[in-house]
Order: sequence, then structure tokens, then C-alpha cells
Amino acid sequence: MKEEFAARMLRVHFGEDDKWQGKPLHEAILAKCRELGIAEAIVFRGIEGYGSASRIRHTSIWGLSKDAPIQMSIIDTEEQIARLIPLLDAMVEEGLVASSSVEVVRYSRNPANDANQP
Amino acid sequence: MLNAGKAVKVSIYLSDGATRHGVPVYSSILDFLFYRGVAGATVFKGVAGFGADHHMHSANMVEISDRLPIKIEFIETREKVDALLGKLEEMAGSGLIEMQETTVAKPAQVSKPKMPVLPAHLKIEGKAQMMRIFLSEEDRWKDKPLHEALVAALRANDIAGVTVYRGILGYGAHRRIHKDKPLLSSHHGSIMLSVIDTAEKLRAFLPLVDQMLEEGLVVFSDVDIIKYAYRALDVEPDAAQAGQGSASQ
Repeated sequence: MKEEFAARMLRVHFGEDDKWQGKPLHEAILAKCRELGIAEAIVFRGIEGYGSASRIRHTSIWGLSKDAPIQMSIIDTEEQIARLIPLLDAMVEEGLVASSSVEVVRYSRNPANDANQP
Repeated sequence: MLNAGKAVKVSIYLSDGATRHGVPVYSSILDFLFYRGVAGATVFKGVAGFGADHHMHSANMVEISDRLPIKIEFIETREKVDALLGKLEEMAGSGLIEMQETTVAKPAQVSKPKMPVLPAHLKIEGKAQMMRIFLSEEDRWKDKPLHEALVAALRANDIAGVTVYRGILGYGAHRRIHKDKPLLSSHHGSIMLSVIDTAEKLRAFLPLVDQMLEEGLVVFSDVDIIKYAYRALDVEPDAAQAGQGSASQ
């Protein structure tokens, strides 16, 4: 099944060591996205970067993370994203949230499943 | 669209054992024809034959030959064939390509809308679009990972650039949590392809995505291309600066 609609995409930038209630922040945000039934959320780990706090973030040569930069891409309709924004405000202490309006084409194998998800 | 009337039939003769980048040549040619929206193509396997090297290849009970003759045949309009020929010659390697004028008496019925012809690769600057394709690492198309097949399809259609990202965590249209397990297999990951080109070229590519992507999300956003530098093949390596198109947003 194929649907096309206007949507909003957020890109949230912060560090891998950032926590929310003892849990890695990216896992906490991803869990919130799932709770809200957000259509798509994906976490990327950058290899180097710096952010709002001007810390140089990079992964060490040993492969162990040393506060690597994290970027999350989150996509859904305007209404769904609007429900997520206040939560992000509370959870992201130090970071950046970029927002852009996008056009989405969604392909799904089983449309019934999509409707029943949380 | 292939209509009744004048057309060209192309036959490519190959050895079954011929490979290109580790893949059978007939398979990469067939993929290329598919990616470029050719109306139809058939691969025939010969039982015996010989080629330019005058080695007789035959199916024998004693030696199971993996070098039997292969013939790929397709019928298209003259313009389309001309556009494909350069690449086909390169891919066929030592094989033979034959073309003959033919007449289509009755075109095949098309159940889906035909793929439009994408315009040729041009230098692009200014308004463009970014297409992000979200899928799962375990998705496959034919015998290869879907993201690799999509990159090959984008390349065959001269799309300006694509980068594949592997997420460490995520979920998608199918709502499965993909978690990167460092010590276990790297399967079940979330993958994002980021593709940049003009809006019309990306839109023209979408019917192919329709066919290849069963489950996933495609996201379009407007971008401005500030710089697009690439190394042209006929220019000295240091004369043109190699680089990726960098885009805002």
C-alpha cells in the first residue's frame, strides 16, 4: 500500500552520553516516539562533531564511544510532531532540534497493522 | 512506451561464466535494463555454442559447464536503445551485441504506468530536492540487499549522488525496533539513503522505488545546492576537484 502526505521532519542533535532518567537520551526519545505512535524514528551516531556546548565529540580509535554526536531523524504529520515537541523540550537539556516540512511517501505491506499500532 | 510500429531488437551474446565485479554479466545487464525502464528483456541459456575464442561450450554430463552461451534480448525504441548502448557495450565486455530493425505488431499490455525517461545527468546548482529513503537492512531485492540495489538503480539513472547511513537504533513503517548489536550480526538495522538531485529527476525515479520498496518511508525536502563539483572522466584528475554535492538543510 502506498500513501502520500505532507509531514514534518525533526532532526535532534545531542551527545551519546546524554541521559534521561538514567537511560541514554536517544533510547528514551525513541521510546517516547513509539509511545506516541510516531511513524519513523532513527538514531545515527556521528564519527565526529561539535554541538551547542562546544564539546568536540568523537569516537575513539578503540571503537568505544566517547560522547559521540547523535542525530535522530523523526518523521510524522504536523499534529503528531506537535505532541512530541513539549517532551523534547523537557528531555533535551543541551542540543539542537531542527525542523523542516517534507513530503512523504509511505509504503506498507500490511495496512491493517499500521492502524492498530500504539 | 513501446508502441506498435518500428523498433529495434537488441541481442547480446555472452558466456555464462563471464562476471563483472563478481556478479554474472547477464545479471548486471538485466538489472541495468530494469533500472532504466526498458519495456522487457529475456535471458536465454544456450545448450551449446562457441564464441570469438573458438572454444566449444556445451552442456556435458561429464563436465558440468558453467560457460554455456547466454543471450539477452530486448526490444525498444531507437532513441532508448541509443541512450543505453554505450553502457551496454561497456558491460558486455568481450561479448557481441547485435541490433536489428523490427516491427512491433502488438505491444505488450502494461499493467502499471510506464517509467518516464529521466533526463541526462546535468550540472545542478540552486533549487533541488533531497530524497531520504528509510528501510530495513534486512530488506532484499532479488538476491541482494535492497539498499545496494537502490544505489545501483540510482547510479544507472545518473542521479547526482546518494549516501547510505546505518542507524544504531530505530524503527520504521513496520514498527520493529532495530537495535545495533555490536558483537552479533549487523542485520535488522535501520538504513537511510540520502539522495540529492532535481525534483523532477527524483520524482521520475519514484516509480522504480514503488517496484522495489515494499515497506518503508520516502521523504522529500527542498534543498539548495551550493556547490556541485565532480571529477569528469575526460579531465585530468587534478584539474577538477572531486567532491560531493553539499546541500543546505
